[in-house]
Amino acid sequence: MRVYNTTCCTHSLFRFMPSSKLLGYSNSNNFHSVISPSFSKTKTKTPKFSSFISATMSTVSTDKNQTHTHPLQVAKRLEKFKTTIFTQMSMLAIKHGAINLGQGFPNFDGPDFVKEAAIQAIRDGNNQYARGYGVPDLNIAIAERFKKDTGLVVDPEKEITVTSGCTEAIAATVLGLINPGDEVIVFAPFYDSYEATLSMSGANVKGITLRPPDFALPIQELKSTISKNTRAILLNTPHNPTGKMFTREELNTIASLCIENDVLVFSDEVYDKLAFDMEHISIASLPGMFERTVTMNSLGKTFSLTGWKIGWAIAPPHLTWGVRQAHAFLTFATSNPMQWAAAVALRAPDSYYTELKRDYIEKRAILVEGLKAVGFKVFPSTGTYFVVVDHTPFGHENDVAFCEYLVKEVGVVAIPTSVFYLNPEDGKNLVRFTFCKDEGTLRAAVERMKEKLRK
Amino acid sequence: MNSDRVIRKEEMEGKLSRAAKKLTSSPIQELSHLAQRCNAINLAEGFPDFPAPIHIKNAAVSAINSDFNQYRHVQGICQHLAKMVKEMHGLDIDPLTDVAISCGQTEAFAASIFATIDPGDEVILFDPSYETYQGCVTMAGGVPIHVPLDPPLWSLDPSKLLRSITERTKAIILNSPHNPTGKVFTKDELETIAGACCSRNCLAITDEVYEHITYDNQKHISLATFPGMQERTIITSSLSKTFSVTGWRVGWAIAPASIASAIRNIHIIVTDSAPAPFQEAALTALRSPPEYFETLRREYQSKRDYTIKLLAGVGFKIQFIPQGSFFLFAELPDDCPLSDVEFVKKLILKAGVVAVPGQGFFHTNLSSDEVSNASCNYQKRYIRFAFCKSEATLSAVSEKLGKLLDTEGRLALH
Repeated sequence: MRVYNTTCCTHSLFRFMPSSKLLGYSNSNNFHSVISPSFSKTKTKTPKFSSFISATMSTVSTDKNQTHTHPLQVAKRLEKFKTTIFTQMSMLAIKHGAINLGQGFPNFDGPDFVKEAAIQAIRDGNNQYARGYGVPDLNIAIAERFKKDTGLVVDPEKEITVTSGCTEAIAATVLGLINPGDEVIVFAPFYDSYEATLSMSGANVKGITLRPPDFALPIQELKSTISKNTRAILLNTPHNPTGKMFTREELNTIASLCIENDVLVFSDEVYDKLAFDMEHISIASLPGMFERTVTMNSLGKTFSLTGWKIGWAIAPPHLTWGVRQAHAFLTFATSNPMQWAAAVALRAPDSYYTELKRDYIEKRAILVEGLKAVGFKVFPSTGTYFVVVDHTPFGHENDVAFCEYLVKEVGVVAIPTSVFYLNPEDGKNLVRFTFCKDEGTLRAAVERMKEKLRK
Repeated sequence: MNSDRVIRKEEMEGKLSRAAKKLTSSPIQELSHLAQRCNAINLAEGFPDFPAPIHIKNAAVSAINSDFNQYRHVQGICQHLAKMVKEMHGLDIDPLTDVAISCGQTEAFAASIFATIDPGDEVILFDPSYETYQGCVTMAGGVPIHVPLDPPLWSLDPSKLLRSITERTKAIILNSPHNPTGKVFTKDELETIAGACCSRNCLAITDEVYEHITYDNQKHISLATFPGMQERTIITSSLSKTFSVTGWRVGWAIAPASIASAIRNIHIIVTDSAPAPFQEAALTALRSPPEYFETLRREYQSKRDYTIKLLAGVGFKIQFIPQGSFFLFAELPDDCPLSDVEFVKKLILKAGVVAVPGQGFFHTNLSSDEVSNASCNYQKRYIRFAFCKSEATLSAVSEKLGKLLDTEGRLALH
C-alpha cells in the first residue's frame, strides 16, 4: 500500500455532487480568473484562449453539508495551477500591436537542411510509430554529439530516451524517478513548468533563490538545504530566465554535495549551444556524477524548430529505466519524421554552431546596448537568448505593472519575472526580455523604448 | 563496468519511483524485438505497413516549407473536430473551450487521467484491455478495477459492472471500437454504462481512436451521446489510425470546458505543444471528403475478411467477428496444448510471423468474485492479429502458414 504525501492530498477524497449540480461547473461564472503572478508560460506561442483552471476550483469545501459547492471534477494535483499572466499579456500585445520580446521562441525559422530532412523522411514513409525510446539513428546521433560536447561515452540503446521536447524529458524524469513526498531542490527563478511538474509528482519542493547581479550559487544556503533526505536537484544551465551559466566551481560544489548526500541531479541543458561568454559544462561529466544525473536537451532551441518537439534524456541505465516507463505512458513514442531530421541536424558541422553563436551574440548586443541606453539596469547574460533587467528606474510598483505599462504605452512585451519564483516578491524588480528575434524586430523594439519609455 | 559501479547501480536502482518499479515493459514491444531479430512478418503492432495518404503527407511537407515550425496551437483543429463531432454524433461542442490538442491519443489519455484521478480513486476498465490504460492510472496513483467482458462474444454483463462500482469509483474507461477484440459496444451496453455513470456519478473517459474503422454497416456510437453523459465524458482520439500516421503524434481530448482546461494544463507541462507541422496537416486530414472514410472502411473490411478466412482455414477458432478496429482476437484450437505465449514464440521461429499473445491484455485483479482460476484459463488462449497491413503482407502470411500445414490443412508448429 502506497503512502501518499499529505501535502498533495490534505482533503479527504471529495466526491462530486449529484448530477443536478454537475452542470454547474461548465458555467463560466462559477470560476473567476485569479491573476496571480506565481505562474507564467515562459515559452509560449500564439495566444491561448484564457481557460485555465482558477485556484478557486481546488479549494472546494469538503463539508458534506455544503451541497451548493460546485463539484470537484479535477484532481488535486492541479492545485498549483493558477491563471497565467501570459494570457493577459499576449492579448494586450495583440490589442496594442506590441513587439513581442516576451515569448521564448524565434520569429525566424530553422535551417533548410533540417527541414528538407524531415520532408524526405515523410516522403520515405517514416510516418508510423517510431521505437518508443527513439529512432535508432537519432539515439546514435545524440550519443555522438554528447561525446563531442562532454567527452562522455554513452550507450544509445540503454542510456538515451527520445521524448516530445525537453518538456517531456523533464516530465518523464520527474514522474519516473520522484515519489510523492520526495524532497527536490530547485533554483529560483526557474522555468515555470518545473514547479507544476514537481507538484504533479507530489514532490516536496525546496527553492533556493539566485540573486542579482550575477545570480551566483548561494553555497551556504545550498549546504543548509541539502540533506540525506533530498532526492534530487533540478538544475538548468544555461539558465532561463537570467542567462546565467553555472561555473565549474559552482558545479563542483553541487556535485560534491550530491555525492555526499546521495542526491540525483536532473539537468536541463536546452540552451547549451547558446553559451556565449563561457564554455557550457554538463554536470554529468564531473567525477562521480554520471551515475546520478539525467541530462536533458532538445532540438528546438539549437535549430530554431521549437514546434517539432524532439527532446531527449541521457542517463545511466538504472535511471533511464524510470524515465522510459513514464515516457511510455505519457506519449508512448515521439514524432517519427522529425526524429530522422533531428539525426541529420545533430550531425551538422561545427560551422553551424559557430554561426548560430555569432548570430545570437550580435542580437544580444543590439538588445543589451539598447536596453542600457534606455535606462534599464541590465544584468549580464552569459548564455540562452534571455536577459533580465531591473526596471525600477522607471518608477513602477512591480514587474507586472511595469510590463503592462510597457505593452500599452510603449508597445513592447517583456515577461515579469516574479512568475518564475516560488516567492513572487523576489522577482518584482526584474523583467525578462528575449533576443531570439530577427535584427529588424530587435531594433524596432529598442527604438520604441527609446522613444516612449519615460522615467 | 567495475564493481564500484555495479554496487552503486544497485543502490541507484532503489532510486526509481514506486510507480516506475511497478510498471513492466510492454510485452508487445518485446515480442516485436524478437520478431525483428527473426525478420518476422509483423501482425503484432497496430500500425499500417502501407503508405499514409498522399494528400496529408503533402500538407505536412507544405507546412514545414511554410515555416509552421515553432510552438503552436492550431485552433482550426478544434473547429474541424466540432464539425465532425456534430455530424457523426449530433454533439454540440465549443471549439474554443472544449478541446485540448495533444501528442497523440496517448497523451490525451494520460493528461485526462492526471487531470481527474487522485491517488486512491478507483478507475474501471473492461477486460481485456489495451495495456497502457492501467499503467497510466497506476502512475497517477489511481486503482485500476477490471470488469471482465464475457467470452466468446465479449459481452458486457451489467451486474458485473454495477457490482464493481464503489464510492471510490471516479471514472470508467471505455475503448470502443475495442482493442484487442474488435468489439463495438452495442447500444444496450452503452446504455448500461451510461446509466451507471449517471446514477453513480462517475466520469467516463473514452478511447475512440478506431472510430472510423467499423464494419458491416456498424456505426460507432459515442458514449457522450447518451442522456446525462456529455457533461461527464472525456472523448480521446487522434489522427493516427484514421489517417495511417501513427508516428505523427497528433491527438485530442474533447470534454466539458473546465475539464478540457485542466487537461490542457497537464498537456502544457508534459509536452507543451503537439508537433506544429503535423497540426497544420491535421487540418487537411480532418477535411477529408466522405469518400476517404468510406474507402478506409471498405479496404479494412476486405483485409478483415481475408484474415478471418485465412486463420479460420488453418484451425483458429474465431467465434467473434470484429466489428471495428483492425484487430482479430483469434482463439487457439481446443486441442492445441500450447499457451498463447508459447504459440506465438513458435509462430515467430517456425513460420516467421508475429502476433500478440492475448494474456497481456487480461488482468488478474478482476472485480468479480465469481471468477475462479479455472474459468480464467481462457486468458491464455487468445492471440491478437493486426490486419492493418498491405495485401502483399497478408498474402505473404498466407504463404508462410501454408508451408506448415498438416494433412488436415491445420497449422502444425511442433
